[in-house]
Amino acid sequence: MKNRLRVLRAERDWSQADLAQRLEVSRQSVNAIETGKFDPSLPLAFKLARLFETTIEAIFSDEN
Amino acid sequence: MFCSIKSPTERRYVIRMWVSAGLCVLFSVVAALVFRFYHPHGVFSYLAAVLPALPIIGALVYTGVYLAEEKDEFQRNLLVQSLLGGTGGILAVTTTWSYLEDFAHAPHLDLVWVYPLFWLFAGISYGFVRARYR
Repeated sequence: MKNRLRVLRAERDWSQADLAQRLEVSRQSVNAIETGKFDPSLPLAFKLARLFETTIEAIFSDEN
Repeated sequence: MFCSIKSPTERRYVIRMWVSAGLCVLFSVVAALVFRFYHPHGVFSYLAAVLPALPIIGALVYTGVYLAEEKDEFQRNLLVQSLLGGTGGILAVTTTWSYLEDFAHAPHLDLVWVYPLFWLFAGISYGFVRARYR
C-alpha cells in the first residue's frame, strides 16, 4: 500500500524515531509501514490519521 | 533472537525466557541427581522426570503472553512469522528423520532435541523475516 508518511513526517520535521515514539511502536515498525512493506491495522491507521490531523485516505492509497 | 530490546514488554519476555532456560538447566541437574542417588519409582519417577519440562512449558506460555501483551503489531507479526518458521522447520526435520530412522536405520533422534531445534529454526526464520522488511 502506498502512503504519504515520509512527506507528512518531513513537513513536521520528525524522524522515524520521533513518529515511532508518538505512535508507541518501534522505529522498525514505522520504517516497514513507510516503505509499504507492512500494512498497519485499522486502529494504527486511525492513530496515524489522528496524529497527522487528517484522514486515513489522505495518508494511504492502494496500489491501483 | 532479539539483538536489541525495543519495549518493556519485550524486555519482560526476554527476562522470562532466560529465567525459564536457567530453571530448565537447574531442574535437569536436579532430576539427574534424583535418579542417580534416590532411584525413584512409580509416580515419583514420573514427577522427577517431568521436572525439566515445566520451565519449557512455561517458556511457551510466556511466548503466548508476550504475543498478547505486545502492542507493537509489527514486532508481533515478526515473532508470529518466526514461530511459524520454527514450527514448519521442526515438523519437516522430525518427520524426515523418522522416515530415515524407519527405512535407512539412521541414528535415533532423541525427542529432547525438538524444543531447542524449534527455537533454532525460529531464530533462523526471524533473520529471514527481518531481512524482508529492511
